[in-house]
Amino acid sequence: MSGGAACDARSLRLGDGLEVLISRKLETLSPGEILEVAHDDASVEHDLRAWSRFIGHEWKGVRVEKGRFICSIQRGSAQRIIAKPLPIEAVTNIPAIADPRTGFSPRGAIVESGSPEFPFDVLDANLAWNPEAAALYERAVSSQWNAATDILWKTLPRVDPELEQCVCQLMTFLAENEFAALYVPAKWIPRIHPHFVETIMFLSTQICDEARHIEVFVKRALANGNGLQFSSASTERSLKTLLDRENFLEASFLLSVLGEGTFLDLLRFIEAYAPDPVTAEIARRSRIDEARHVQFSIAHMKHAIESEPNFKQRLAAAARERAASLAEVRSVNPLVEESLIVLAAGGLQPDRLPAGVRAVRGLYETMHENRIKRLQQIGFSSEDSEHVSQSHTPNFM
Amino acid sequence: MANTQRIAVGAVAYDPKVVTIWEMINDFFRARGIPSDYVLFSNYEAQVEALLSRSIDIAWNTNLAYVRVHRRTGGRCKVLAMRDTDVEFTTILIAGTNTGITSIWDLRGKCLAFGSRDSGQAAILPEYFLAINGIDVQKDVRLTRFDLDVGKHGDTGTSEVAVLEAVTKGEADAGAVGDTYWARTLATGGVDRNKVKPFWTSSPYCHCNFTVLEERYGKDLEEWTEALLQMDYNNPAHRTIMDMEGLKLWVRPQLAGYKPLFDAVEAVGYFNASA
Repeated sequence: MSGGAACDARSLRLGDGLEVLISRKLETLSPGEILEVAHDDASVEHDLRAWSRFIGHEWKGVRVEKGRFICSIQRGSAQRIIAKPLPIEAVTNIPAIADPRTGFSPRGAIVESGSPEFPFDVLDANLAWNPEAAALYERAVSSQWNAATDILWKTLPRVDPELEQCVCQLMTFLAENEFAALYVPAKWIPRIHPHFVETIMFLSTQICDEARHIEVFVKRALANGNGLQFSSASTERSLKTLLDRENFLEASFLLSVLGEGTFLDLLRFIEAYAPDPVTAEIARRSRIDEARHVQFSIAHMKHAIESEPNFKQRLAAAARERAASLAEVRSVNPLVEESLIVLAAGGLQPDRLPAGVRAVRGLYETMHENRIKRLQQIGFSSEDSEHVSQSHTPNFM
Repeated sequence: MANTQRIAVGAVAYDPKVVTIWEMINDFFRARGIPSDYVLFSNYEAQVEALLSRSIDIAWNTNLAYVRVHRRTGGRCKVLAMRDTDVEFTTILIAGTNTGITSIWDLRGKCLAFGSRDSGQAAILPEYFLAINGIDVQKDVRLTRFDLDVGKHGDTGTSEVAVLEAVTKGEADAGAVGDTYWARTLATGGVDRNKVKPFWTSSPYCHCNFTVLEERYGKDLEEWTEALLQMDYNNPAHRTIMDMEGLKLWVRPQLAGYKPLFDAVEAVGYFNASA
């Protein structure tokens, strides 16, 4: 034996914290080293002798010094937690392949052996993590807004009934799309290993954003008394394919790069042609949030493709598969398209409708061009970008 | 070549967790190609009879059950292993803080509570240890026994709970409990140390062990023992079993530690009275 430690327990008793004091002191010793505990009460000998044996340490006896009782306990060999220590820097080590047996422990925590295996199945850092996620999370946190108080609902004027009908149809459409954008990341969070915490935390903000968007879109539809309008079967079919996708990278690509990317142009369009300032403001605020989701997904795809160029083919194939499964969806819900035209025309006046039609055609062009830019940004060739963008669902998301 | 003959290990079901423990122990042995299986008994006397009639190969015995086997076989029995916690077991005498009892000699004329009459730690051994210190519990003290769960040799701990409660409430001046019960109850805050204090710890003795008949002992049981001793507290799969069974290490027998109980049952005439 070499080394050891001593502590003064005064008159502290087992059950009142003496066991904590001694355990913490013993923890600093190596097996075989001795802890001397000074105590005021002679009867502590019986307690500590029994407790030491019970816990797996060895009672080495008691002696009296200046009226105090000095109990000697030899540390036993059992480790309290079966785990190897980690340096503090471990918190920043992104695992190439994460271990499902670390469970919910935060990255950098010392995990005891024998913890159960969790059903996480996105374990590869190339699929689950990107270097911009942490900064985007921070930006998301500081960009949160309140759907009830940040929108000046009291300033909402009466709107021409025809235009109000269009706004309500668009709000219905936006809300159902945002449900998809909430459910898809929500589906993936439980499957992504917690050690890719930057991704998990960002996706959590995305879910929060979508909840707020659903709130404002539904509120706007109700605000002037008109209410929610039609949800088409084709829209729902299109959105369901996003939820059905069983690969996180592909799901994120289809939802956020292609879908939410396309939505940026849609929201900018609605903002531009909104018949009232409230509709314009909720479109503007939602677009800013959506842009963050798109930026996250672009960073995610770029990182994945840089680490594994084959992922590009997989993403293109995913877009093709989705298009094939949605072959019967040839256009967006006609009520949505008409609403966009009427909004852009400012009403149903025959002399103004052509401008509305032109504006919506222009919107589709812009959507296509911007999709191509985003696809090129993540590493697709211009030819592939053109092809993938063309195959994107006419449902926008 | 793995054994094919089943090794039947008897254990007393003093608590539902015994099934869980022994299922895990079965898995542990089977993973090593040893066909160990358990047989549960409701009391140690029945288990001892099963061992003697060779219905089981190994008995997971209390110290008292081991002494019984030893007596019945004239010593032709063998101990395979025991827990680290079965070595250096002690009995603690506790007293009410206002009774003025500070040593065993203060017990004369006082009310002393014992646990079940078949509990080594809370009845038989304290009676013996007091006797060798000149205190006859039949004459020198007013003895109260809590005969609870008789047949389980104190495993359930209920009689020790009753002893502590009687001393805490002042219904008994002093009482005897095993040191593991005392340590566990202290650490979980179950002792009011303003009302109860320990004042004496016995010399150490041994508790449970795996007992076999000498005539049955052979290569398969030696392999069984070797495998058992491989159980490692720093292996998470083993730790679960060991925590439930209350040990950190299986150890080879330390037979000298049973001498106090052999002497005690003779001195107090335990088997004359009870079997």
